[in-house]
Amino acid sequence: MLKLFLSIVRIYFVLTVSVTHSDRHGSGAKFCGDYFVQYATMTTAQDLVRLLQRIALKETAAFSELYEATSAKLYGIVLRILVRRDLADEILQEVYVKIWERAGDFDPSRASPITWMATIARNRALDEARRSKPVSLEDMPAGFDVVSEAPLALEMLTQSEDGQKLFDCLQKLEVEKREVVVQAYLHGLSREALSKRFSRPVPTIKTWLHRSLAQLKDCIGP
Amino acid sequence: MTGPAHIDDLAAEYVLGTLSTEERVAVSARLQRELPLQAAVAYWEKRLAPLDELAPPIVVPIGLKSRIDHKIAAVASGAIAGGSVVTLDVHDLQRRLRHWRTSALAATAIAASLAVILGAREMVRPPLEQNFVAVFQKDDASPSFVMSVDLASRTLSVRRVAADVPSGKTFQLWIASDKLGVGPQSLGLVEDRVTEVKKAISGIDPSIVQNALFGVSLEPAGGSPTGKPTGPVFHAKLIQTSG
Repeated sequence: MLKLFLSIVRIYFVLTVSVTHSDRHGSGAKFCGDYFVQYATMTTAQDLVRLLQRIALKETAAFSELYEATSAKLYGIVLRILVRRDLADEILQEVYVKIWERAGDFDPSRASPITWMATIARNRALDEARRSKPVSLEDMPAGFDVVSEAPLALEMLTQSEDGQKLFDCLQKLEVEKREVVVQAYLHGLSREALSKRFSRPVPTIKTWLHRSLAQLKDCIGP
Repeated sequence: MTGPAHIDDLAAEYVLGTLSTEERVAVSARLQRELPLQAAVAYWEKRLAPLDELAPPIVVPIGLKSRIDHKIAAVASGAIAGGSVVTLDVHDLQRRLRHWRTSALAATAIAASLAVILGAREMVRPPLEQNFVAVFQKDDASPSFVMSVDLASRTLSVRRVAADVPSGKTFQLWIASDKLGVGPQSLGLVEDRVTEVKKAISGIDPSIVQNALFGVSLEPAGGSPTGKPTGPVFHAKLIQTSG
């Protein structure tokens, strides 16, 4: 019963976010409406698995459905890392071409479909960020310093079992070390960028990362 | 430094995203063949994935989907329509290239598959004895440029596949052969990712071109100020595709 409630809350949250963004982009009510329906009907992992299986057979309709259901999520991930929309747009295209080509490799026994797709997106974005990062976080236009937000509301993590576990274990790290790990993941920050952001020498950051990750692994277990 | 603890640190940082370019590329290459590293990466991907919840969904610009569809159609039909960006699976390309090099079918296979890269014009032209390709890669993990040479018409074209141009920089193409004097000679700038770059090599004897070493280097905008490569260089030799 609690699970059902949580998933309703979650759907509501996603819808709120998407409607807010649609408004900001000045889109009409119809677009919001379409978006609403697509998100509301596409929340289960099982649906995504089925879509990927159809995409492996090169069904374009399934690919369009998958795109509607997941592109906002993957775009959010890619944009957090790349910051620049032009880069994020290009990378997101490559990510979906890859999903189209690799759908047959997806193995539901090894990863959830959204994790599988998010991993493709993250890896591609990280490669891009490392290769050609012309904007350091320090060079970002005013108001775009996403990193200087207040500590992230990690409670968002507690919606899934894996997330709850990670949340509990992250809580056991010291505040600053926890922030290093979380910011690194979300923004794809290198050790150098973390060093600037947290005003600590690079070797210190490296040591922190290794210790924190080892501690996390001990806590999470195999 | 290859013990389990090291592998775990490496895998964790790879997934977290804190490795440098060189380290990322090295890990990507090792992932192709090292099972313990694959397992460690899979562990961290699964464990850290809940953090994706913290990135709120953002509505994608309208029109992006049709660009994706266009790319997929272009790749599937084997023809790259004008203006579209080339998207290739570099690992797959590499695997296939390695295979082809040692295969008796090398000539036809490369000619057929690289038609995707070289464009429809090359594809419909009957194979000549004088077509060559070269794949430039910085390291094991990333073919960055594909060059084709047609000795009959004395043209070569370079296509940027997976290399991105840092701002204020440009890529420059070089040819090196002891018959052409000391050090590499510039063949011009590789400026555009989308369109093919054609450079005349009419002044150079075909047999020299055929056996020369080619390089692409990263230079300041406008090209190397010294007339020789000043930045990191990607090297390649020609592979015959037909004849």
